[in-house]
Amino acid sequence: MTRAVDTPPALAVEDLRTAFFTDAGRLDVVDGVSLTLRRGEILGLVGESGSGKTMTGFSITGLIEPPGRIVGGSVKLAGEELVGADRARLRALRGRRIAMVFQDPMMTLNPVLRIETQMTDALLAHASMSRAAARAKVRDALAEVGIAAPDERLRAYPHELSGGMRQRVAIAIALLHEPDVVIADEPTTALDVTIQGQILALVQRLCRERGTGLVWITHDLAVVAGIADRIAVMYAGRIVEEGPVDDVLDRPAHPYTRGLIASVPVPGRRERLPQVPGRMPSLLELPPGCAFAPRCAQAAEACRARPDLLPVGPARAARCHFPLVETEAAR
Amino acid sequence: MKPPPLIEAHGLSKVFGEGQDLVGRMLSRFGLERPPRRVHAVEEVSLTIREGEVVGVVGESGCGKSTLGRMIADILQPTTGEILHRGRPLGARRREKGAGLAVQMIFQDPFSSLNPRKRVGALIGEAPKVHGIVAREDLDDYVESLMERCGIDLAYKGRFAHQFSGGQRQRIGIARALAVKPELLVCDEAVSALDVSIQAQIVNLFMDLREELGLTYLFISHDLGVVEHVCDRVLVMYLGRIVESGPAAEIFRAPNHPYTKALLAGVPRIERRRTAYEPIEGDMPSPLAPPPGCRFHPRCPFATARCREETPALREIAPGRLSACHLNDATA
Repeated sequence: MTRAVDTPPALAVEDLRTAFFTDAGRLDVVDGVSLTLRRGEILGLVGESGSGKTMTGFSITGLIEPPGRIVGGSVKLAGEELVGADRARLRALRGRRIAMVFQDPMMTLNPVLRIETQMTDALLAHASMSRAAARAKVRDALAEVGIAAPDERLRAYPHELSGGMRQRVAIAIALLHEPDVVIADEPTTALDVTIQGQILALVQRLCRERGTGLVWITHDLAVVAGIADRIAVMYAGRIVEEGPVDDVLDRPAHPYTRGLIASVPVPGRRERLPQVPGRMPSLLELPPGCAFAPRCAQAAEACRARPDLLPVGPARAARCHFPLVETEAAR
Repeated sequence: MKPPPLIEAHGLSKVFGEGQDLVGRMLSRFGLERPPRRVHAVEEVSLTIREGEVVGVVGESGCGKSTLGRMIADILQPTTGEILHRGRPLGARRREKGAGLAVQMIFQDPFSSLNPRKRVGALIGEAPKVHGIVAREDLDDYVESLMERCGIDLAYKGRFAHQFSGGQRQRIGIARALAVKPELLVCDEAVSALDVSIQAQIVNLFMDLREELGLTYLFISHDLGVVEHVCDRVLVMYLGRIVESGPAAEIFRAPNHPYTKALLAGVPRIERRRTAYEPIEGDMPSPLAPPPGCRFHPRCPFATARCREETPALREIAPGRLSACHLNDATA
């Protein structure tokens, strides 16, 4: 317990707000998000399209471009404030202390450079060593992510590798400097099932071994069930539920979380899927109060007022006026 | 005599090859043939789809499942083999008026399959108008009944495809397919691009339509959870061949082929927490140069010398269940 007080968490996000200022109006894509990530912890950030999960990841790493802007809150990487930090400082941190892995590795990898060139460039951007030493290090990094014949692969161009192998390269690059935090945005969504299994096993092992905190952004509840310690569910730019993976998946407190879980087919049961009616509202026409209320079966008068994210159990919170679990446990 | 099944396919193969380019033609004039690059996308696939059945096709990218679906939908012609629709070859039926309408396809991306310059009413109403399925004066009512059946708000009849969300667009694609009163819907990854809550809505719509209209489906997907939920029978494909087939419940409970086992073991499920994934090694080989013998042998933990040389035949291992694996001989 005392250690948790002494060392700051790998990542502490506090009331983060990001807005896009478009001709159609202001869009609050990240609307007061708070997250804490300890070293070696894996947090699943779950949501459907438009929930703001990717924008949360971009905001944490300072990748928001105009017309978007972080309008409030704080992001602390091992105690150091990133919001408002100057470009040079962010540049020094990104890739070294905090790294990102994206859904499409073809977009992260430069198509006209050999794997060796881009990996050694990424290494030498933050470390001084000879080219030969750098080459040896990236070779080991490739071997570590399970790439067979790493010497051969170093000479290859990205298009010569399969999708799974490209994603392994992207992961190897992200982990080159042993960062405190890795933000992975749907890194296995484009991959086949057997390849996804390989990547999940790899990421899990590397993060645990090195004490890297991992935020795994995904729409797939089943994937986070397999790897995450904790889950945060996002809806319309806000976190609606957060807690340990077993609690959230076995006893969801927010009606949206419950609906999401029920929408996934259960093996051996073939009856009609319980469905959440409607779809996520546009951020331009958010209903006042609870954003989920128009789709919620138990919405009542109270839901016209915006609910806060309140404790619903040990280390759990939900943004609902009528959470589905007893709040007694929290007291 | 029993009526013939809705669809019966025998020995279907599809080879994609590059046509000879200028250099190739010049080389062949000098007698210097370049080896042609050919992909055997589908090889020796036979299947039966009975009326009212939901048949699933699962497999990873490059396994040939989409090519198979397109051949059944008569969009692609098989290189060899034939497809019978109610006992008559598809090719012969093609010249009959309206015969091509019996099989309709639902695509993964409803946006690229809908004409962006047409309004919803016209998108759904065009085919039945052209094929004379409904009288012109009844067309409006017909389109509206289809929209209602597929859960599209009638107020949106005058809108364009880009004004809809992904789920709504998929509903439009389904309504358009239903407009020509098909018997079989070939759904190629029809729910894969949708969000979970929307996916559940569309899966339920498919199942409702099955009951109301007695529709038959060929349901192609890489999502094993959805396939298990909706399908009666399943075909598992790997590198162009069927490696296992049988009743969905049995295959998911007790897979026989090592590939099917690996595939099922790799599926993340909500009930599987903090799983230590033990994935099978290696990537799918390139279909340009498939391995000899059993195509799965380089990744198979049980492969023997025989697997490297001899292609296993798809044989019955239990009533209604087929598997293509040499290991079944050893235990028999």
